[in-house]
Amino acid sequence: MKNDRKEELLTRWMDGGLSDEELRELEPVLDESPELHQERADYIRLREDLRAAMPAEVDPPFPDYFNSRLGRVIREGSGKSSSVESPRAARGLNRLWFWWMVPAATGAVVFAFLLGMKSGQSANPTAVVDSAAGSEVYSPLASVSTEVILDRESNSTLLIVEGLAPLEDVDLAVGGGFRDGRHGYYVNTEKVY
Amino acid sequence: MNFFLHIASNLVKGPVPGDAGGEGASEEISDAELVRRCQKGDYDAFDVLVTRHRGRVYAMIQNMVKNEADSWDLAQEVFVKVWKALPKFEARARFSTWMYRITHNVVYDWMRKRKVETAGELDDNLLDRESVAAGAHATPAREVRPDEALSQGELRASIEGALEKLSPEHREAILLREVQGLEYKEIADVMDCSIGTVMSRLFYARKKLQSLLTKS
Repeated sequence: MKNDRKEELLTRWMDGGLSDEELRELEPVLDESPELHQERADYIRLREDLRAAMPAEVDPPFPDYFNSRLGRVIREGSGKSSSVESPRAARGLNRLWFWWMVPAATGAVVFAFLLGMKSGQSANPTAVVDSAAGSEVYSPLASVSTEVILDRESNSTLLIVEGLAPLEDVDLAVGGGFRDGRHGYYVNTEKVY
Repeated sequence: MNFFLHIASNLVKGPVPGDAGGEGASEEISDAELVRRCQKGDYDAFDVLVTRHRGRVYAMIQNMVKNEADSWDLAQEVFVKVWKALPKFEARARFSTWMYRITHNVVYDWMRKRKVETAGELDDNLLDRESVAAGAHATPAREVRPDEALSQGELRASIEGALEKLSPEHREAILLREVQGLEYKEIADVMDCSIGTVMSRLFYARKKLQSLLTKS
């Protein structure tokens, strides 16, 4: 039997896909190498392990953002006369959002907590904080995360930047050092929130 | 975790007909019908296709390139190319097979480019197998006992380790056949080779995989 034919039959035999006629054709090979039966049994177990360990379907991280970003890239691309811009063309920015997402979300939760403490004194606490939808902030440092939050009550936008190097003592001295605010310590500021 | 993400996705986008991705099912919009709508410029239909197939595309890429951030970018690139090429899609093959073919091209382009860029350099990503990207789905789909989780983790690690030692062609053949469940002819279409070549790749890839796992 030619080698190609043997490989094909053995591969399909492993998958249990041989007809009776093909099985008869393969029999001399199996008689010559009885260890193939054990190899087949072992491979069937391995295949089960493989399927258990490697799911066929894994949603990408942030699946909704995956769709919305794709839509934006395609819409932006369709407005150009040239081909659609590859998402990887903006690789630097892509990478940054990817690594920012978790620390930025953590920062947003912490900030929401702080504003929640403040809003406890407000007449309409639920209207205090809104995420500024659609805003994107670029930082050249991959370690820095940012979050843009709109404070409707004071009609202002807050930019949270996390991941910067700590301030040196000398900088604190210039700014007047730590100040004790109503809800904690604030650095380098005269204003108590 | 995936379940909650899926629910959240549906809450935002509405029900997704046909998560299985099969074509011809009676109660759900088939891929073929969605493709026809896309070809008329219906982006909402494309969004359904993306939601239906992004998990398979991402898993396939992730298992080939072993880097979550690159996999995310490449999966986006695949769907951009799918959207651009849809007007030319003639449905001679299943949509999913055609999509895997585009995925194959994107991944191999990336590998070629990366090989040129990193020629002579040590690729830290390939060595740092403990690293987990931000937002990675590291949570198992169901509750498992700690000993079971350890065993599954070890099994996955050893299988991933063995797969990484295969050539890209052998690894892809194994993934398409054993994980994605494609027929031999579909694998040949995706990898742009003959069925005989697919058989040969599967034959040697399986032998090598068994040998590597027996050693480990």
